[in-house]
Amino acid sequence: MSKSIIVAEQSEIIRKGLVYLVEALGLFRTIREVACASALDENIERFQPDVLILNPSMVSGNTLEVLKEKQNGEIKIAAIVYALFDDELMGLFDDVIMVSDTRQKIQKKINALLDKTPAKKNQKPEETLSVRELDVLKLLVKGMSNKEISDKLFISIHTVISHRKNITQKLNIKSVAGLTVYAILNEIISMDEVQ
Amino acid sequence: MKDIIISGRMKMADIISHDKRALVLLPRFGIEMGVGDKSVKDICNQKEIDTDFFLLMVNVFLNANYFPDRKLKSVDVDMLLLYLENSHKYYLEEKIPYLESLIEEFKKTVDHPATEQLDKFFKQYIIEVKDHLAYEDHTAFPYVAALSEQIKKNNPDISAVDYHIGVFEERHDNIEEKLSDLKSLLIKYFPPSNDRYIRIRILNELMDFEEDLINHARIEDKVLIPIVEHLEQKVN
Ligand SMILES: [Fe+2]
Repeated sequence: MSKSIIVAEQSEIIRKGLVYLVEALGLFRTIREVACASALDENIERFQPDVLILNPSMVSGNTLEVLKEKQNGEIKIAAIVYALFDDELMGLFDDVIMVSDTRQKIQKKINALLDKTPAKKNQKPEETLSVRELDVLKLLVKGMSNKEISDKLFISIHTVISHRKNITQKLNIKSVAGLTVYAILNEIISMDEVQ
Repeated sequence: MKDIIISGRMKMADIISHDKRALVLLPRFGIEMGVGDKSVKDICNQKEIDTDFFLLMVNVFLNANYFPDRKLKSVDVDMLLLYLENSHKYYLEEKIPYLESLIEEFKKTVDHPATEQLDKFFKQYIIEVKDHLAYEDHTAFPYVAALSEQIKKNNPDISAVDYHIGVFEERHDNIEEKLSDLKSLLIKYFPPSNDRYIRIRILNELMDFEEDLINHARIEDKVLIPIVEHLEQKVN
């Protein structure tokens, strides 16, 4: 049960109701609530949810597209709807949950979304790091920041971050300190290169 | 026993022997082993612990999907703080020193240059955990205590407490995350060596500590924060 979900909805009654139904499903390790649009980006960045239930009034079509792009389509998004929105915006969602839906229907929809999420977090990932990832790892454990790494390797910060994500996923090690131990164990760097 | 809701009529001994996670809860309530055939309610009465509060904590701790909303209003804030402080004490006095001694032994047993770095990583992590606990013990909890103190008075003077639980909520990061890094390093990446049973002992302890911290954080997120938010609404 490694999946996570964010429920973004302004109305407390509706948000808590959804969270209640999601909890009852017992399919998610983390359930996060977001009550205002300004906190949405930060929470998605931080918790990397697999599923997002979102009130469409919290985003514009533009921000939604940017968000989907950033997440490489790895996040599945359902709209929670009790008002009318334009078709173009609604077309960007993977599914629509109506406030009038029954409990079973809502849970079925969330289940279906979860099935559609990529299996990346459960499946056995390819363990060996690519040459580029090794380059990033080397600089990272020497204590360089994302910006410094991007300057050094002539790649964008965005690319650095995505390499870091892959490294963490492949090795199952999140912290730089932990990666440093890994790098020494595998002779990617020597003890005296560590800052 | 998992995912069963514990009731006051159940025997304390049954709860513990069916789910060992309940074991660490007892000292947090000042309950000692040797519980005989007494029920939860009997023991709580004897120890002057509010049974409902005990049940709430046990159920939140043992069951990730337990939704305590309706029961929160009756929780005694001082009791909750005492419980949380006792949990921290257990980490500081028991868990961390034990882990430290295990890592020390690992360093002696395994001859590899990376053990030094592992030790560094671990020591840094312990500092972070201690900071995290100290922040709660010395900043967040005293605020909650002061707030509940003021609310008990007729004319609460809220200006006496200068803090907001939202700050705590935001700062409340996952301290168990790095334990999982340590786990990966020991399971997957440290080469096989003649380390006898020490690695098993460390892993056992890491997983135990990790689970305890996750459950503990859930109590802070699901019980403490909503209660304090409720108190804050009362004075605003
Ligand atoms: Fe804590």
